[in-house]
Amino acid sequence: MSEPKWLVDFQILRQHPGDKPHFKIYPLEVDPEENVLDAIERIWAKKDRTLTFRHACHHSTCGVCGMRVNGVEKLTCITAIKSVTKNGGIVRVEPLRNFTVLSDLVVDMGPFFRHMGETRFNSVAPVGYASLPFEPDPTNSIPLERLVDCIECGLCISACPAATTNAEYSGPAALAAIQLMLTQNFSPDLMALADHDNGAWRCHSAFECSEVCPSNVDPAWRIMNLRRRVVAHRFKSLFKFPKQEKQHA
Amino acid sequence: MLIRTGPKNRENFWLWFTKIAAGFLIIFLLGIHLIVNHLIVPGGLLSYRQVLAYYQIPFIPIMEVFFLIIVFTHSFIGVRSIILDLNPSKRVLSIVDVALVSVAFIFIVYGTWLVIVVYQLGRL
Amino acid sequence: MHNTPQSNKWPLWFDPRHRKMGSWAFILNRITAIGLTVYLCMHLIVLSKLAMGPEAYDSFIALAKKPAVIIGEMFVIAGAIIHGLNGIRITITSFGFGVRYQKPIFIGLMVIAGAAIFLFGYKIFSEL
Repeated sequence: MSEPKWLVDFQILRQHPGDKPHFKIYPLEVDPEENVLDAIERIWAKKDRTLTFRHACHHSTCGVCGMRVNGVEKLTCITAIKSVTKNGGIVRVEPLRNFTVLSDLVVDMGPFFRHMGETRFNSVAPVGYASLPFEPDPTNSIPLERLVDCIECGLCISACPAATTNAEYSGPAALAAIQLMLTQNFSPDLMALADHDNGAWRCHSAFECSEVCPSNVDPAWRIMNLRRRVVAHRFKSLFKFPKQEKQHA
Repeated sequence: MLIRTGPKNRENFWLWFTKIAAGFLIIFLLGIHLIVNHLIVPGGLLSYRQVLAYYQIPFIPIMEVFFLIIVFTHSFIGVRSIILDLNPSKRVLSIVDVALVSVAFIFIVYGTWLVIVVYQLGRL
Repeated sequence: MHNTPQSNKWPLWFDPRHRKMGSWAFILNRITAIGLTVYLCMHLIVLSKLAMGPEAYDSFIALAKKPAVIIGEMFVIAGAIIHGLNGIRITITSFGFGVRYQKPIFIGLMVIAGAAIFLFGYKIFSEL
């Protein structure tokens, strides 16, 4: 027996180049078990073909469907409608914050991907590095590799207060990526990227990135761990002595 | 090699660490300051005579000048950090740096002068 | 277009809507930081009355004991306590300790802050 249908108003922020941003309301009959992305697709298919948005995998792997739902960053493909509203309620959908809006719900991810590219981010890592150290090890210490958790969705950038006013800030995802890369191999370039005013020192510990991350990256933890690594590196470099040549008999 | 070659680093570990270390010291110094000025004395505020007497305690003038330097260090590095959040241009940041250092220097010199004056008035 | 990171979006730093506890701590820290910096400069300027003799300073103290000024002073004390204790939390987490427990640490420290502010307030207002 199917769930009874709900009638929900979807308020979607519309903006095409040259237009003033405005909310447009789309009343929609939905199955509460459906996800927000399903509703957006149906709005596009049946009500308004001018609506632009991104969607791909539909199972939280690609990271392209990130939007703000009722003010909170979500992956809309896994956000059930019943988790964000009730029958007769409203769902407010806006593009991610801190990215230039190209059209409606589509944002320019270019700068973000450039920041990620600077980290020489490797999508595959040994399980011990890819997982957070306080998580149980499912591999029983067998050396295995897996895809890292970050799906580069950008929700963390949207939620970050430092990213609101500074486009040069590397951002939580890139800093988490630097931490992940540094745990595997030390690199002076990556350390310099972290120990920079647009790197780790721009983070002010709001921890919103970890609140919204849909993928267990825990960027806030990684940024704080990165700071610890920078601190240790700086103190160690204070006490570095030049290598002495060995005297041979 | 990094793709991004600039901009110049405007806030490194040492500046951040100085702010943190200063903040830590302020917790003790401000704690003493608040307790002396608001909790111990009846009426919750020191009178003129009480301030003069307080500054006659041997280590107090030195402690208060140290407190003054530490609190301006912490405060103004913090203000600079907030301004850095706005991604200022190199020129604007240079002006901010000069302004902050100048204002802090003026207040520290003035505050030290005031401590010396209060100490000497207490000896009369 | 709309949403691009820009310096003129700084009011959004103080928008707590749809945000969690870490953001409230950040907002409180920033507001108290700015407030305390302004107060610090004013405080030092006002203390110049000490160099003007007992009449000048004591008449200022008489003004400072008026309820409206004491309430303002309480805001400063509250700001200092909150900023200091939250600063401890930021320092601990910034060195990589207790990050997973930042919320209970914040709650605990704010309970302590509340108790300290109450103690100061009780002491100061009870002697009015």
